[in-house]
Amino acid sequence: MKLYDYILSPSCYKVRLLAALLGIPLELRAVDFHPGGEHRKPELLALNPAGSIPILEDGELRLTESAAMLVYLASLTSPDWLGRDTAAEAARTEQWLSFAQRLTASLGGARLCEMLLRPGDLAALQAAGIAALRELEAALFAQRLHGEDFLVAGRPTIADIACFPYVALAPDGSVSLDPYPSIRLWLRAIRALPGFIEMPGIHRLHELKPEPVHGAEGEPA
Amino acid sequence: MPVALSSDIPPATVIPLQTPSGPMALWRSASGRLSMSADRCPHRGMRLSHGFVRGEALSCIYHGWSYSQDGHCLRIPAHPDLEPPAAIRVATATVCETGGVVWLALAQTESQPPRFSHHTPLRSLAFAAAPTAILVALNGRASADGSMQGELAGLSVILLCAPQPDGTSMVHVLAPSDATLEERLAISSATEALRRTAETALATEAAA
Repeated sequence: MKLYDYILSPSCYKVRLLAALLGIPLELRAVDFHPGGEHRKPELLALNPAGSIPILEDGELRLTESAAMLVYLASLTSPDWLGRDTAAEAARTEQWLSFAQRLTASLGGARLCEMLLRPGDLAALQAAGIAALRELEAALFAQRLHGEDFLVAGRPTIADIACFPYVALAPDGSVSLDPYPSIRLWLRAIRALPGFIEMPGIHRLHELKPEPVHGAEGEPA
Repeated sequence: MPVALSSDIPPATVIPLQTPSGPMALWRSASGRLSMSADRCPHRGMRLSHGFVRGEALSCIYHGWSYSQDGHCLRIPAHPDLEPPAAIRVATATVCETGGVVWLALAQTESQPPRFSHHTPLRSLAFAAAPTAILVALNGRASADGSMQGELAGLSVILLCAPQPDGTSMVHVLAPSDATLEERLAISSATEALRRTAETALATEAAA
């Protein structure tokens, strides 16, 4: 399975992260998104006329939407992650997959303005991002009252993975995460999952491993 | 002043806070002890709230310098054989925890934080409004201890408002201790509506 990938792209990271959590090996093909703009050049436009990344290829199957890639990876090995146990759960998972597009447009848009100096109305993007974070915080608080740590259930699903990266990287677009206690605990619960991998700006929980011992170099951690 | 709810800071975690004495890191050790330090590592200025808690120490995410509850540097990973000099320390502040609320003592002389016998903490949320505007929107009463009392979703609530340096307020909502799950959810929703009212009133005032 081949992923056309860019290390700083939160959407590409969604796919890398779920593949890592599910133990699915990916062949990564790095795309020079910035500064090269390779995703808008003929070779990649031939694969995805929309000119976006990630692109996932598995045999004859080619996917260009990250939510579809999450569905595919989970369906292959771990249907539990699809969040489709009941009609209500399936609908709520879809709701969050759509909500994730709002995060991409708002928090992701603010991030592109701040990091890559892309044109845009930064204040409006940040305001839309804060509105989305408030909605997420309220929903995660309600989940906590029900004793559940994740968006649609007591277990993680593709809904969590779809929403996680742009939320975690909100500070890149100068949107603070400080006022959201339930979001903070949710981000932590995802980062604590076995097999979690990092991307630049989202680090692992160092405290989950014992303190490195001096003089023990070369020994397995 | 109230700074956080106990349930939002489980063992072995650290959170950032804005206080009148500047940005602070509130952290709870693995054994459950709560401490507060300045949110700045004296080494390179990194926010300690980006760091992590291992055992009874707070570590900086940048170079791993770790600090004890009293603020002294315990360990510098790049110099494992060095005992860090006593001069390397972070400023600390006194916090106490009563009834599920974490309070920061702003002065040595400050009296004991208030206790609420019939209410327990629900959730904290930021309002882009000053406490005065929130009290008006709530149509509530202000107590001498700084808390506000009113009704949300037809139930008695207590709001603890902590003004933030940027003009917003962190609002800690307390619900009746005997409220059901449905009632707690209803108070949570009503608090969101209260926030819309308080923030809209502010915008209307600014436009006038």
